[in-house]
Amino acid sequence: MTKKVLMVEDEKNVILGVRTCLDAVGYQVEVVEDGEAALDAVRKEQPDLILLDLLIPKIDGFEVLKVLKGDPVTSSIPIIVLTAKAEDEDRQRAMDLGADNYMTKPFKPQELWDRLKHYLPD
Amino acid sequence: MILSKLPEPVNLETIADNLADAVFMIDRKMNIVWLNKKAEEFFNTSFEAARDRNIADLTAIKKIKGLIQEVFEQQEALKCTYEEASVKVKRLDQRYFFKIAINPIFHQEKLWGALLQLTDVTRFHEMEKIKTDFVSIVSHEFRTPLTTIIVGVEMLKEGMLGDLTPRGKEVLEAIGADCERLNRLIDNLMELSRIESGTIYVEAEPTDVADLVQEAVRPLKLQAEKQGIELITDLPPELPPVAADFNKAVWVMANLVGNAMRYTDPGGTITVRVRQRGKRHFFTVEDTGCGIPQENMEKIFRKYVQVSGPGRKGAGGVGLGLAIAKDIVMAHGGEIWVDSEVGKGTTFTFTFPVYQGGESVTLPEAD
Repeated sequence: MTKKVLMVEDEKNVILGVRTCLDAVGYQVEVVEDGEAALDAVRKEQPDLILLDLLIPKIDGFEVLKVLKGDPVTSSIPIIVLTAKAEDEDRQRAMDLGADNYMTKPFKPQELWDRLKHYLPD
Repeated sequence: MILSKLPEPVNLETIADNLADAVFMIDRKMNIVWLNKKAEEFFNTSFEAARDRNIADLTAIKKIKGLIQEVFEQQEALKCTYEEASVKVKRLDQRYFFKIAINPIFHQEKLWGALLQLTDVTRFHEMEKIKTDFVSIVSHEFRTPLTTIIVGVEMLKEGMLGDLTPRGKEVLEAIGADCERLNRLIDNLMELSRIESGTIYVEAEPTDVADLVQEAVRPLKLQAEKQGIELITDLPPELPPVAADFNKAVWVMANLVGNAMRYTDPGGTITVRVRQRGKRHFFTVEDTGCGIPQENMEKIFRKYVQVSGPGRKGAGGVGLGLAIAKDIVMAHGGEIWVDSEVGKGTTFTFTFPVYQGGESVTLPEAD
């Protein structure tokens, strides 16, 4: 069955890049551009995995993490943080809030595929 | 003496009181003998009240005692860099930074006291801070667009978006390599701004020397082979561990070896050695490269300095690596230096303390 990935990202070009990257290996991708839309999308239909940027409009990525990882209904959905924030404190904060993985931009497609494969085994 | 030729209304005091710097004269016991008007104003005192008071008490500058002591012991004027010589002063809840100059005064060839000159460099400090923040923001902002570029280039290179002509592939390889370079540059800038803003800290733990060297050298082996350079490691067995932050120490070593590779021609050799001397380990990276001209040896550890010289090609950096390496080594209480001979080669040496047990986190100086 095709795995569904929800991408929360507000940079148009990054969306294109990552979407292309995921399409190539056969994931189904839904994109939302802010934190509020992300929470709505998860409530409507649970994805198999979430790629989450931290600097997003309305509700930021940390808050999205807190809500989703704090709710037993959604806490088991793997969340990979994809962010330009490279500071140790941000990484620690995201991991403390329950992020499953933390990737800093820029990254190579292979790094993303490897992680997706890890969290979404066939 | 030229001062005796001063015109009538002007005397030495007029000059001293109109200086922009705060000036103190102290005796051998560090008690104030004299001060100028600027010093009275800034430290909110008067000549009568300040006289015979200890300079450290009056100014409340923590490290001033140590600096004066150094001058007294060396019997030489304080020679240090801008960073080392700046002191923090609190006044009316505001922080000021001063650059400090201390000159010993002799009487009948014996040390008598010293003249202290404090120059307000608060504005410079603010500019430094702005620059540091700016570097951090800019390098951060580069990451997002670079993501799109790298992801795109990699997928095109792999042929996942259609076939490429051989030429097209070649061009993409070049773009990919330069993306890597940009990426490294951003990492270095981030690291530097972290160090400068004082948010970096070094966690000194017992670190195995062989692990450290292997971790640094392994990723570079293939590249060295490709360049036709022999990369040798020479470690005596059973070296005691050093007190070091593993990742940062690896970074320093990898950076020095990477540098050596950039300046060494095919057929050359790079040797990494570690030797223990007393309570320190000496790490050396020796190359048979083009060498560094004498006049440039002092400069290379400064930020944004890239040394040019015979055979030193534009090496594709901005001259941050060694500045960061120096900061990291010094944060461990170590030292770093270079020996070089043009045409023969260069040797970088840095030291880390041998682990003594009980070392914990070393925080950067709060100032």
